[in-house]
Amino acid sequence: MKSDRELVKYCIDRMLTKGAEKAQCYLKYNKKHELNVDAGEMKLLRTTFDTSILLKAIINDQKGDLKINKKDEGSIDRAVDQVIELAQSSLPDKANDIADKQPPKEFTSGREKADLDVMYDRLHDFVLYEKERYPKTMIDQAIVDFTQSNILIQNSNGVDFAGNRGMYSFSVTFTSKEREKVSSFNYSGFSSKELDKPLHEYASVDMLLKQSGEQIHTSAFPGKMVGDVIITPDCLSSFIEYITMYLYDYSLISGSSIYKDKLNEKIANESLTLHSYPRSPEIAKNYFFTRDGFEAQNMTVIDKGVLKSFLLSQYGANKTGKPKAVNSGGCYIVEPGTSDFEKMVSSIDKGLLLCRFAGGNPSDNGDFSGVAKNSYLIENGKITKPVNETMIAGNLAEMINNIVNISKERIDYGSEIYPWIQVKGITISGK
Amino acid sequence: MIEKDISKYNNLFSEYTELRIQENRNCAISIVNGDIMGNNRSSESGVSARVYKKGVWGFSSNPTIADETVKTVIKAATENALYLNDRERKNKEPFPISIGTAEKDFKTNQKRKTQKDMIEFLREIDGYIEKKYPDLTARTTVYRSLEMEKALLTSEGSQAYSMVPRTLIYTSLNLAKDGQPFELYEIFGGFGQFENIFSKPEDLFEKINTQYEHLKKKSEGVYTKAGIADCIFGPDLAGILAHEAIGHTVEADIVLSGSIAADYLNKQVASPIITMVDFAHTAMGEPCPIPVFVDDEGTQAEDAVLIENGILKTFMQNKESAQHFGVKPTGNARAYAYSDEPIIRMRNTAIIPGKDKLEDMIASIDDGYYLMKSSNGEADSTSEFMFGIVKGYEIKNGKLGNAIKDTTISGVAFNMLKTITMVSDDMAWSCGGMCGKKQYIPVGMGGPALKCKVNIGGK
Repeated sequence: MKSDRELVKYCIDRMLTKGAEKAQCYLKYNKKHELNVDAGEMKLLRTTFDTSILLKAIINDQKGDLKINKKDEGSIDRAVDQVIELAQSSLPDKANDIADKQPPKEFTSGREKADLDVMYDRLHDFVLYEKERYPKTMIDQAIVDFTQSNILIQNSNGVDFAGNRGMYSFSVTFTSKEREKVSSFNYSGFSSKELDKPLHEYASVDMLLKQSGEQIHTSAFPGKMVGDVIITPDCLSSFIEYITMYLYDYSLISGSSIYKDKLNEKIANESLTLHSYPRSPEIAKNYFFTRDGFEAQNMTVIDKGVLKSFLLSQYGANKTGKPKAVNSGGCYIVEPGTSDFEKMVSSIDKGLLLCRFAGGNPSDNGDFSGVAKNSYLIENGKITKPVNETMIAGNLAEMINNIVNISKERIDYGSEIYPWIQVKGITISGK
Repeated sequence: MIEKDISKYNNLFSEYTELRIQENRNCAISIVNGDIMGNNRSSESGVSARVYKKGVWGFSSNPTIADETVKTVIKAATENALYLNDRERKNKEPFPISIGTAEKDFKTNQKRKTQKDMIEFLREIDGYIEKKYPDLTARTTVYRSLEMEKALLTSEGSQAYSMVPRTLIYTSLNLAKDGQPFELYEIFGGFGQFENIFSKPEDLFEKINTQYEHLKKKSEGVYTKAGIADCIFGPDLAGILAHEAIGHTVEADIVLSGSIAADYLNKQVASPIITMVDFAHTAMGEPCPIPVFVDDEGTQAEDAVLIENGILKTFMQNKESAQHFGVKPTGNARAYAYSDEPIIRMRNTAIIPGKDKLEDMIASIDDGYYLMKSSNGEADSTSEFMFGIVKGYEIKNGKLGNAIKDTTISGVAFNMLKTITMVSDDMAWSCGGMCGKKQYIPVGMGGPALKCKVNIGGK
């Protein structure tokens, strides 16, 4: 029986023996305990084990990638033969490469084992709290899990990293109902190294549960206007995803990114600073190294409105000639602003508090449109009522230039930390 | 490949148990502007067990398929069910016994193509696009296949084996006009393995020419006018409407969680010309894109007639929800991976064709839109839906006009369905996407063209 380190080394040696000039092996174990509440009732306890082995072989600048979930020698040998065949089937591309040698390291964060009784007690208490405090609101599904991940990555240049992470996650989806009237569903969640307080006290869980009951009775947004929108931290997550999509490999290699020539140029209002901090102690859902074999570092993507880094992998950087990112993105933190949330609201005569966005994928040019879900009308400086069937439209590039204010307050999800952001120039149309 | 008959494990069950051995095999090749960006294969297999005990479930899975791990996962799943039962004490009755059997292997009889063959196939498509359309700013050609192979055994005596493949080729074209980028994608293929779907690259060239023409027109297109508009939904849109906006609201687990549809059973929810079915495996005499003969709880799968002549008739059920509603399970319990538990999922959801001709439907609109293709969609427990639109045209005085730029439509499905006044006499299936619930899973969706009123976004 080989140790995991011996197994990974065996994979690399065998790929080299079979003709690979460069080889990488990534081995991951996941052990997960998961408790599920369905339709408000504790229903399911899952315990799952998984293994992933990802092999990468490069021959004459031709690359093949293969993933299996078996680690017996017969499966490994067959997988090596297949990945060599994949590489030989491909076309040469000088951008294919593996990471250079870096000092070997082992990283650890979070606890090693789940405390199943704590998971059960926290979820049980959450269900009771929710039923008592918000009787009109029904939990569609609530899941608490603890995942222990152990990862090894090595390559033929001598990269050798190990990472061990234990983390709890919670997600909840809910709807409110009164006789035949139903609210839009909403959801919240977080990641955390420990479950040391009631689940509803994390992130936006309690705030959104409270709002859900208010959203049973909604009104149409009056008319159509171009005006101010406050994007909540929960909703900001969607917009950060849309914006960063233009910074990844595909968008830059295909040349369709609106930011392809904007490195070190101003792309947003100077109040916006966006970090990608996979190594920050603030982030429970962290990572230590990238899938292409580089130790991950914290970086600032947008600094006071200036684009400071793309999110290119080694392949993407080689392909485009643009600098490689020092991590794989994610773990985003938006710096807080200078305004109180209440003051942001009071500055708006008529506008929208945008709590969730259900939209079409933004166009290549940044245009977006979609429905404002779980959202509120702002009138005369006050949040007045939840709205229904309200559509918004704008352009992402213009939107981040049109930031009016960023709140001092932020919400920590354990995977990201976001404030409220007020933007102008958004088209809002009622039914 | 997995063992088709796993009945040898029958004596390991002490409670209601579902035992599943499964392998998912994926292949993905992507060519961007002539370069092979992705050249991947993956295979994930393992064994899982789910155990029911008086109202609660235990589940466990392991990637090693061996007699010893089969025993281990059954034991762990049983212990998990007992752990929850000790604490919850729901004391629910056992399910009525339902036994399903099937053996369905849809693998090709032809000699399998190699990865090199498939790369060559894609390169020919890519080469054609490059040569024919030099004004494109980018082109992407992607091959994706998924083979789901499952063997199921339940303590009630259900026994099933299936190997269901899906093979797709995507082409995405990008064009710039006045400094503004535009994109349009198409998906070809569906149910079956590569050898049964694609014979030669040239077969796709005419479709790619059409895709380019639509993109060219879109780059010269106009913004839609925000507000309620008379629209024709093409079959793609009708399919996503059936799946996202209506289908999800009538999944019994969503009904139990507060879906608006809970109050609509046996009520008029749509125009009387609308009938909508979640087909198990065969529709109108033809095989469906995602055939399900026995679901992952061991229930013999049957069609679920959701809306009949505008009346909401039933919900999609698994064993537990069927027990709650006092009806028969419909065979909608499906799991994506070996490590996933079965949950209520759609299979092949479609609106049934009507009697109208598409050209008459377009001719009946003075000022509106013909919406042909969606990028993504989302629906709500209220049945409020949103679809991204990436291909469509204005309709002016009964004729197609300018192409439209990307936009979004929204509405409340159970209101919007009542505005449908015409249904075309043909239909088309699509099965290019993955439906996301707790797990992602391939689904089929389809429909005819529909004339309706819908809220369209715009400037």
